[in-house]
Amino acid sequence: METAAIQTHGLTRRFGALTAVEDVTLSVAPGQFFGFLGPNGAGKSTTIKMLTGLLEPTAGTVEILGKPFGAGALDLKRQIGVVPEGMALMGRLTATEYLHFVGRMYGLDRETTNLRTQELLDFMQLSNETKKLVTDFSHGMQKKLALAAAVIHGPKVLFLDEPFEGVDAIAAGMLKSMLTGMINRGATIFLTTHVLEIVERLCSHVAIISKGRLVANGSLDELRAGVASTLPGAEQEQRLTLEEIFLSIVGAGEVQESAQELTWLT
Amino acid sequence: MADLGGADRNGMSGAAAVDAGGMLGPLARAQYGALARLRWRMFSNGMRSNKGALELGARTFSYVVYAIMGLGLGTGAGFATYFLVAGGQWRYLTVLFWVLAFLWQVIPVMLASFQEQFDLGILLRFPVRFGSYVLLYLVFGLLDISTVLGGLCCAGIWFGFAAARPSLLPWITLALGVFAGFNILLVRAIFVWIDRWLAQRRTREILGAVFMVALLSMQLLNPTLYQTRHSGKNSPRQQVEKINAAKARYKPWLKKANAVQIWLPPGLAARALRDAIEGRRVQGVASLGLLGFYALLAGGVLAIRLKAEYRGENLGSAPAREMAVLSRTKAVASFPGAASAGREAGWARDGIIGGSGPIAAVMEKDVRSLMRTLPLLYAIGAPLLLVLVFSGVFIKNGGAQPSMFPLALPVCMVYAQLGFTQVFYNNLGTEGAGIQIYFLSPTPFRTVLLAKNLLHSLLFAAVAVLAGVLTTLRLGVADNAVIAATAAWLVFSLPCNLAAGNLFSLKMPYRVNPGRLARQRGSQANALLSLLVQLCVLAVGASVFTLVWFLDRMWLAAPIFLVLAVGAVYAWRRVLDNVDAIAYGRRDDLMQTLMKQS
Repeated sequence: METAAIQTHGLTRRFGALTAVEDVTLSVAPGQFFGFLGPNGAGKSTTIKMLTGLLEPTAGTVEILGKPFGAGALDLKRQIGVVPEGMALMGRLTATEYLHFVGRMYGLDRETTNLRTQELLDFMQLSNETKKLVTDFSHGMQKKLALAAAVIHGPKVLFLDEPFEGVDAIAAGMLKSMLTGMINRGATIFLTTHVLEIVERLCSHVAIISKGRLVANGSLDELRAGVASTLPGAEQEQRLTLEEIFLSIVGAGEVQESAQELTWLT
Repeated sequence: MADLGGADRNGMSGAAAVDAGGMLGPLARAQYGALARLRWRMFSNGMRSNKGALELGARTFSYVVYAIMGLGLGTGAGFATYFLVAGGQWRYLTVLFWVLAFLWQVIPVMLASFQEQFDLGILLRFPVRFGSYVLLYLVFGLLDISTVLGGLCCAGIWFGFAAARPSLLPWITLALGVFAGFNILLVRAIFVWIDRWLAQRRTREILGAVFMVALLSMQLLNPTLYQTRHSGKNSPRQQVEKINAAKARYKPWLKKANAVQIWLPPGLAARALRDAIEGRRVQGVASLGLLGFYALLAGGVLAIRLKAEYRGENLGSAPAREMAVLSRTKAVASFPGAASAGREAGWARDGIIGGSGPIAAVMEKDVRSLMRTLPLLYAIGAPLLLVLVFSGVFIKNGGAQPSMFPLALPVCMVYAQLGFTQVFYNNLGTEGAGIQIYFLSPTPFRTVLLAKNLLHSLLFAAVAVLAGVLTTLRLGVADNAVIAATAAWLVFSLPCNLAAGNLFSLKMPYRVNPGRLARQRGSQANALLSLLVQLCVLAVGASVFTLVWFLDRMWLAAPIFLVLAVGAVYAWRRVLDNVDAIAYGRRDDLMQTLMKQS
């Protein structure tokens, strides 16, 4: 049996009385482009933080590439790249300086770091901004830089928390082709985003979390079949979009109805 | 935003919906109320955690200290005023007003990191009038330290003057009110403009360069001052002659300075009072009018900046910088691979510090960040000015052969070390969201803090050498045993501060906004407790110095400090060995605190 790239068992995180993530068990195979979806506050970012060592689970285990992953798993950290929620940027550095710093923190030698920094800046179309401090970058530029930093050391597993937020269409296209290229070369990508079209186009497998619990997990076709089976006979024949699947699973229909009651809105 | 009462279908009262009624109208008043409730909620919610309670305790203690300080200064100012006015020496009132104005403007810079500031930028999404925005900006700063101290000093002057000349009470009230208003507006104007300049790359660099030049200029003053102080080696008669010669030499300059200062706000405030005492009411009104004009001018300068903020200007995308970027982009487009970009890349390629490991990477990154962080540069540099000023205190002029206080060197070193408080005790404060990299990368936290400690030690060594040179220039070469003891004390105190600093940085960090000198959110608890640790380290040093002084064996101090240093280094290493456990145990809190938007 092939070792999973990412494997969790009963992953749980509580903040005082609030249970943000409860008993999440999932498995991501190597080379899979995995979409992790959920409404706001469902526990996506908390889960990704636990998977990347930014947050300690209250209970449960995380395995990356078949090895237990914790704060001290330094060798495993070399194998993963992360674009976290806060982007992990350092505002008082230029893009070149920042990538150079990150490369060396991941143990790359100076020469390799320089080469990759230049390549990544060219690829992300940031090479004309070498004098600008990161703090002066637009949000989209910061996202591109954060992604460049996440891949500079050539990770085998990539965790992306909302990487397309604030990125223009041209850059988004470029990033998508880069990520697809990584998948083709055997990398595993764990992606959270609210842009369902991107997940639908890129991801082979999807999991949906709602109120801290995993409510769906499987390939898109499996999810589609699961939702379709609950629909009346005639509607079962329709090919459901991911948005329809998502809304059906997380039960957002009630919210949409209640929004119609805000009669004082002009 | 607020419950306005008597609401219509849209929840707005008729008056509020039709006309906000100015900065004191119903809408504005409701907004002030809502903001006051917001502040109260923020305060009470902060109390839910132990950290919040600790902060409150530290803040209360600080305000008590500042109040005592203010009362002391105010009482001093009051007595000085009384004796000057009652003794007919009111022409010297101008000195008092200049000192007060200077302190009013300088104290906020010195204590910028100790004050919590509320960013009113959050109000911009609401229908807040500009007048209300300005009013709130002014009201929320009324409890800052400079206003409290300045206000108490003004109150002292008022009481002193009222006791000496009760008939002029309305006059002095008006004059002091305008003077206080001018200072409040000026200090705010200075800070909002500095923040604006720090937001632009070019002006940020110019400001940094001006700061460094000012610092170096102060150092160049030393030889001059040293020469002047060496007049003390002459006989008393020669000294008197020299003083008279200096008076004659500087008198024309002083006259010119006086002619200028009477047209400036502190001079005008003093002149308005002097005119009132001497019965020249018309001139007094003119002085007061001009002082009022200065207050309006300061208010106008402040309003220009606040208006820009009110219009939603984001300091991260300031217009001048945008233009600079545009022109730079054009230049790059015209000449691909322009020299500047090449230089930048080359600098990054070669690195500042040799080696390619994480330690060198962290050190290089911190050097670059530090050079672009004016508040920290200021914090490190400012105590050197104190060394310059306070070293003069140790020159004794009593005898024919003036002598120096023998322990002046270590005392000056203590001043120099004070500048590193923020650097040592909050060494992750400027990381912001970058803190995540330390948890994501395979570099242990121990390595990160070790790199930071090494860099800070090197910086401190440089500053200590500079402080030593300054002290030597001012006071002459100290005794060899004192030099050895001072060096040994530094070897002891540095690891103590680094060890405690690492713990404080992990357990009670606070975010430093590198682009702001004012409106920082500091941690009073960190500031007070770090001061306490430093006082303990100082107490150990003072005890050893006292002991060897008493025994008349100054040479004994160095070996004692070196023995203590072994223990300090051991403690520092123990702390370093545990930082990974502490950092990972507190990673959520660390990230939340350091990534918090200020």
